[in-house]
Amino acid sequence: MTVQASNLESEQLPDPSGAPEGDVSKLAGKSPTRLALGRFRRDKLSMVAFVVVALYILAALSAPFLVKFGVLDPTSFNQELTDPSTGGLPIGKLGGISWEHPLGVEPQTGRDVLSRVWYGLTFSLAIALTATILAIVFGAVLGIIAGFSGGWVDATIGRAIDLTLSFPSTLMLLALSSIGIQLMADILPGTFSDPLPNGAYVVFVLALFGWPGVARIIRGQVLSVREREFVDAAVLLGASRRRIYFKEILPNLWAPILVVFTLTMPAYISAEAALSYLNVGIKPPTPTLGNVLRSSINYSSADFIFFFTPAFLIMIIVVSFNLLGDGLRDALDPKTHR
Amino acid sequence: MFKYRKRVLAASAAIALAAGLAACGGDDGGESSDNPTGDAAATGEAGGTLNYLIYAPIEHVDPQRIYVGRDITNFSRTVYRQLVTFPISTDPEVSNTPVPDLATDTGTSEQGGKVWSFTVKDGVKWEDGQPITCEDFKYGASRVFATDVITGGPNYLLSYLDIPTDEKTGLPAYNGPYKGDGQELFDKAITCDGNTITYNFKKPWPDFPLAVAGLHMMDPYRQDKDQGDKSNFQIFSNGPYKLEGTWSKNKGATLVRNENYDPATDDPDNIRRALPESIVFNIGQTTETIYDQLIADSGDAQTAVTGQRVPPAYYNQIEGAVADRSSLQASPYVDYLVPNFRNMTDPKVREALKVATNAEAWINAGGGEKAYAPAESIVNPAVVGYQDNPAFSGPQEGDPEAAKALLEEAGVQTPFPITFTYPSSETADKQAAALKETWDAAGFDVTLDGLGDTYYDVIQKPNKESDVIWGGWGADWPSAITVTPPLFDSRINLTQNSDGQDYGAYKSDEFNSLVDQAQEAGTLEDQTAALQEADIVLGQDVAYIPLEIAQFYFLYGSKVTGFTTTPASSMYPDLGAIGVES
Repeated sequence: MTVQASNLESEQLPDPSGAPEGDVSKLAGKSPTRLALGRFRRDKLSMVAFVVVALYILAALSAPFLVKFGVLDPTSFNQELTDPSTGGLPIGKLGGISWEHPLGVEPQTGRDVLSRVWYGLTFSLAIALTATILAIVFGAVLGIIAGFSGGWVDATIGRAIDLTLSFPSTLMLLALSSIGIQLMADILPGTFSDPLPNGAYVVFVLALFGWPGVARIIRGQVLSVREREFVDAAVLLGASRRRIYFKEILPNLWAPILVVFTLTMPAYISAEAALSYLNVGIKPPTPTLGNVLRSSINYSSADFIFFFTPAFLIMIIVVSFNLLGDGLRDALDPKTHR
Repeated sequence: MFKYRKRVLAASAAIALAAGLAACGGDDGGESSDNPTGDAAATGEAGGTLNYLIYAPIEHVDPQRIYVGRDITNFSRTVYRQLVTFPISTDPEVSNTPVPDLATDTGTSEQGGKVWSFTVKDGVKWEDGQPITCEDFKYGASRVFATDVITGGPNYLLSYLDIPTDEKTGLPAYNGPYKGDGQELFDKAITCDGNTITYNFKKPWPDFPLAVAGLHMMDPYRQDKDQGDKSNFQIFSNGPYKLEGTWSKNKGATLVRNENYDPATDDPDNIRRALPESIVFNIGQTTETIYDQLIADSGDAQTAVTGQRVPPAYYNQIEGAVADRSSLQASPYVDYLVPNFRNMTDPKVREALKVATNAEAWINAGGGEKAYAPAESIVNPAVVGYQDNPAFSGPQEGDPEAAKALLEEAGVQTPFPITFTYPSSETADKQAAALKETWDAAGFDVTLDGLGDTYYDVIQKPNKESDVIWGGWGADWPSAITVTPPLFDSRINLTQNSDGQDYGAYKSDEFNSLVDQAQEAGTLEDQTAALQEADIVLGQDVAYIPLEIAQFYFLYGSKVTGFTTTPASSMYPDLGAIGVES
């Protein structure tokens, strides 16, 4: 099997002068994935973004354990660190930064800001990740079906996509929140104000309005993949629809799916923050990046560090995920140059 | 954030606001007061436009339906004159003593307060120039009985006016002017003799003039202007201002001079100086936006006042020249918690809850001393006959250890699960978390249940799951008879479908009989004594746990003159005194 010409770019070729003869055959044996990885590794910005995202994920994974072992303490009050005569601003410079509280303490309550954003990250990423996976699974399956089947199936799914996208989703989300959360509370363990039903509602709604975008992209990709010979061969051999969808077509879609994933995650992280600001989502005292941001929003002038921290952390992760997504897209599909 | 029921105000996004009557001996009681009222008359000049910035829509503008302290005072000073009213003064003694307004005097009573009569002044007119008659007052009072149409307002008249009640429903046999059943009974209870109106009550109402001055339920209403529920946002004025155009629920309205108002029939210096040429009620900006403008002192904000409290995040911006435009006074409200007596049946468990409650942490989480002062009773200190409740005196930092011991004594399984229901807001969420800390430490397992706009609908339901419920209340007029009886008398509150204002479903024969004693008392002294005893019973049963007294911390524009908050205006800006530099 030969490497497709389109994947062989001059930049991938090793320096001819110093290369031993045998390298040509090695090059011929590189899979498209390895080529893409190579391209990705050479993209410094994307690598930085990748490291930042990895650190964030590591932090999110570690937070529940750190809280359990008392290293992080997102809920305990330290009101002695705030000054009631100033409306509860932290005592000390820069929002009460100290060794015990490296990012300062929250006004009025004295809760540790670092613990709150760190632990909040876990909930925010969990919500964004679950919603992204759900949106991609539904979007990909429906996109493949629509793209491959064509005809009335494609038309029906296409209209469903249009219909969903034309819904005023944010308004719906707000209007239906109390009913929706109650519904979740009935299905899931926990009461109306517990994190699980509230988080589940946000996940549900994000996924509900997120799948059409994914489905459209996937459908477009499927339209070109289904014309390829191996698909025709599978059809002629009498493979089942299911096999064609998931064994023949899906493996050719990992690249766009990965890119969609890395671009949807940051959108949902911001969406969680925005929804928390509108008082939908996990309720305090359980922190999320969004509700920490909400409680900080009025402190732009009174306590800048407190105001700045959650916003800055959200910004960094959203930018990193976006850069990572862009880098992956460039690496996986070198034909698109910006 | 909080919604105060009587004189209710909702502002779920921001900070409490509310109203009531009273002044307070708080920090700077008498002496300081930035604006001695006497001076205001001298410095204030007529003319200009005053802006009143409001966050949440006003629910009722109809006099018989207004029940929010801020709105009661604003409309008293501008469009709705009363038989008697409270004068402009920072001295609680003066400000809580009614003076004649539309009536010639402050009323005369017979039969130990069971019969009251007032004489309407000559020359007082509606905005269309027609005279205000005794019949108009009678018609206004009759509207209170149409409880299916005229909703939201105070309904004291239903239980006081001498009209027999239906034994089955407990409602009066008269059902208002729209249906008209039992009209002859009403005509007997309120009679007109020329310009003299006489009210006949079934029990003594020694402080009736206070009730007239403190609320708008006894206001006159012109029958030909009444469109029932459609009149909710109509203003038919008899005061110095009248509505220009229509009232928009979400935007507000502008009041302009009423040319048919004759200051000679009024007492401009003591009641309505009516200095601004026009007054704009500007509804819809968030409290934060309002304070951004007031601190910047730009444009219309220079001539603006507000009834929204300064959010704690803005406290440190109020210094230097900005601080000269601020006013900090204790409000006439008390915020409190009630245990749900359906779930927390064991007195020891309630006692443990009380002992573990850290009101100080609640106060600090809500912004500290500029936001709240400690409370030692559900009755505000400004109310006549106030006394500390011994059950709640002393430091209120919460003692989890002592509470733990009480829970052990009670023999309940710990952690003891409880749900705390409160109206959610950014600040309230923090305050609730502050209470949770000591409660959890004492052996409770607290679930915080922060609710949105439907707060009162939920907590009034008898089948609610809440174990501890937040409430806020202010006296309707400066008497404890408008505090503890409406909140804890099970006979008037508890029905099959609703707990009324008795959110904790408290039921005590001892308390109820003391309420009867107070209501049948012919003199204010007897009434006060019975109510003080009733409060002690409540304290012993832990029927409530006082949290704090909200502080009214306001800022106003640089061109506002004569800014003052008085007990008469429920400590909100008193529009009777305020003017603007043009």
